[in-house]
Amino acid sequence: MSADPLDLARLHAALAQCEMALVRRDNVAAALLAQAARHAEGLPGGDLVAAAARLVRAVDVGGGESAERAARKVAQALCRSALQTTEAALIGAASGSRHG
Amino acid sequence: MTRVWGEDGALLGGLGLDPAALAALEDRTAREARLPAGAEIVDAHVHLGRDADGHELGAEALLADLDRRGIGAAVCFPANDPGDDGQFSLANWVVARAAADARGRIIPFCRVDPRRPGAEEAMARAGREGARGLKLHPVAQRFRPEDPAVVLVVRAAAARGWPVLIHAGFGARALAEPIGMLADAAPGATLILAHGGRGDARALARLAGTRPRIMFDTSLAALPDLVALPPDRLCFGSDRPYGEHASALHLVGAAARLAGWSDAEFRGVLAGNLRRVLDGGT
Repeated sequence: MSADPLDLARLHAALAQCEMALVRRDNVAAALLAQAARHAEGLPGGDLVAAAARLVRAVDVGGGESAERAARKVAQALCRSALQTTEAALIGAASGSRHG
Repeated sequence: MTRVWGEDGALLGGLGLDPAALAALEDRTAREARLPAGAEIVDAHVHLGRDADGHELGAEALLADLDRRGIGAAVCFPANDPGDDGQFSLANWVVARAAADARGRIIPFCRVDPRRPGAEEAMARAGREGARGLKLHPVAQRFRPEDPAVVLVVRAAAARGWPVLIHAGFGARALAEPIGMLADAAPGATLILAHGGRGDARALARLAGTRPRIMFDTSLAALPDLVALPPDRLCFGSDRPYGEHASALHLVGAAARLAGWSDAEFRGVLAGNLRRVLDGGT
């Protein structure tokens, strides 16, 4: 069964905020990702978001050590992959409604 | 060297994270790209060296990343490290040396600052060292694409048969009109706009409709932009070390399915379109 476009749109908005917070090394990323992980439960890519949320809970997102930078980059990659998955589902849903 | 999402797995393990679990998610993400069987993959967008913003990637780590995803080669150019002469001379040389050692897996592009003295001399030097293209970054080097000094270096690149890769992602300025002016002032140049032109995507897509030598790379692009662009204008890219390969492949796989690319079109995006440009075609 395909996901509800409203759920996908909500998750998409949340993930876009998370990605920018991670790029800007803003500690608000942990709270945003925790929220996004709740939005993502049961949706495509939900496990990617959950992993990113766990990861940023474990490290200092603003930290400058090599390990902290590596963890932040992995969180970004997880977030980006989840965002792409969500966008694909949204575009697919939109195409279906246009052509259906 | 264990690489996980383009990072050192040992560093992640030292934080108490589970690199194996993260690698499993990475592998699944890459598999979801559903690439054509046996397709050649060439990455059009990789920074080597250490950037002023702290991002860093060396040739050994890059080659490990390429091996992990079955990527044959990568276009590489310096990070934002212009050096003492402001013309990236040392950084260009480092990329050229890495390419010489990598036996065809690193395709060297040089980077210059068009508005500083010595840009064309730096390109000539890089050409002697093996460079096969030019990378320009209007945001990092603070220039306008239509600036006469930029036109001169782009014409010089075209005269050498080099494509010109131009940052077209994050940035406040509108890009379509300046890029159109540059394309018209250097009509022999092939311009590859990075990041799917996401900095001004809709206007750049319209511009490309009237400028056959404008291409786009897919690195850190937005999926809707890639779906809307013709696949024969796209070249796969990752933007390592800002992006990584699993999500980069996942992105083009999603675009292929949503836009309905044929097998041949998908293979073109992954390598053929870039090979064609590097060979002097459009």
